[in-house]
Amino acid sequence: MSKDNIQNNIQSESQKDRPGEDKIFPTKATFKRKPAWLRVNLNPEKTRDVVELMDRLNLHTVCREARCPNMGECYERHTATFMILGAHCTRNCRFCDVSHGKPEAVDEKEPQHLAEAAKALGLWHVVVTSVDRDDLPDGGAAQFARVIRALHSTLPEASVEVLIPDFRGSEEALMTVLEAGPQVLNHNVETVKELYSRVQPSANYEVTLQLLRRARDYAEAQKAAHPETERMVIKTGMMLGLGETDEEIKVLFQDLVAAGTDVLTLGQYLRPSEEQLPVERYVSPEDFARYREMALEAGFAYVAASPLVRSSYHAEEALEAVRAREGKKGPEA
Amino acid sequence: MIKEICVPKLGAKMEQAVLVSWNKGVGDCVEEGEALFEVETDKVVSEIEAEASGRLSKILVQEGEEVLPGRVVAEIEVAD
Repeated sequence: MSKDNIQNNIQSESQKDRPGEDKIFPTKATFKRKPAWLRVNLNPEKTRDVVELMDRLNLHTVCREARCPNMGECYERHTATFMILGAHCTRNCRFCDVSHGKPEAVDEKEPQHLAEAAKALGLWHVVVTSVDRDDLPDGGAAQFARVIRALHSTLPEASVEVLIPDFRGSEEALMTVLEAGPQVLNHNVETVKELYSRVQPSANYEVTLQLLRRARDYAEAQKAAHPETERMVIKTGMMLGLGETDEEIKVLFQDLVAAGTDVLTLGQYLRPSEEQLPVERYVSPEDFARYREMALEAGFAYVAASPLVRSSYHAEEALEAVRAREGKKGPEA
Repeated sequence: MIKEICVPKLGAKMEQAVLVSWNKGVGDCVEEGEALFEVETDKVVSEIEAEASGRLSKILVQEGEEVLPGRVVAEIEVAD
């Protein structure tokens, strides 16, 4: 065993600085240094089988396409959020790094492949999202419905959660998805009303609330018609760190609860690259806990809030919690 | 047997990163699952865990260097 020279052994005190501290490197990369709590673990070997399975079945995950920081943990737990309708988005939201360019043709094999992958991964709560497909007449709603049905058919015991675009406010497109019967209907509000034009110029705050309201009304009607079934859960997610104020957040929470939203997820906005908006602030875990309390007081049934929370992070926990709560309340009078 | 340690290919696109720190030095024993080095991107700091147990025999990329996914950063002599 040859001894390496001292230059290669870099276990010196100065090099054990934690990433939260400022450290200047003589490189071209000029990343804003991250707070100490924004760190994730990754075991490449444990994520590899999920990556390879997805590649083999020509499936995308938002985990890879948007470079979610939780990917290592989720893949290791054999959870993943599938992304359907290709990997190219027709919008340009200022917080997202998903690819743009010519959108792919709708893959008719996708629903079956996705169901196969979910089965191979042993999933019992499957989360499916998509890019925006404003080029399609129905915005991709029919493909969502096909995927939901394929999953219910292949994995009858599994719950299905869909994180949908706004379909440009089309009620018909929304109904196409709702009628396929997902257990959770998720649509992200992303940010406060005041920041919509800066953060997601292609979206509309009122359209977002209207979508959630329509979904909740549908869910209530279905439950009334079939009392033995579980009510569909309505969910939304937002990011902190884009310049929102506490007052704006409070109003948003009230609006969302009034629209019938059951579940809220709150996470730290992380700037994917220089092409997206800068991070205005890093919110501490303690402040996330404070916002969680604020949200629960506003009336949400379940809130997940911490820096690395994303819409589908540990998604099955939110569904279980809401069902448990509904179960305790008993049938509506 | 030598095992090459690489920067994981995670995202769909090639993402520039900086290897910000080594948690182990040359000659150190490494257990599978132990945090070996840290990589920082625009988004987050990732602690990359060792895929095998053995002895860290070579470090090929210094702290502060820019890396791309797939780059070999070190070698581990895997215990037989």
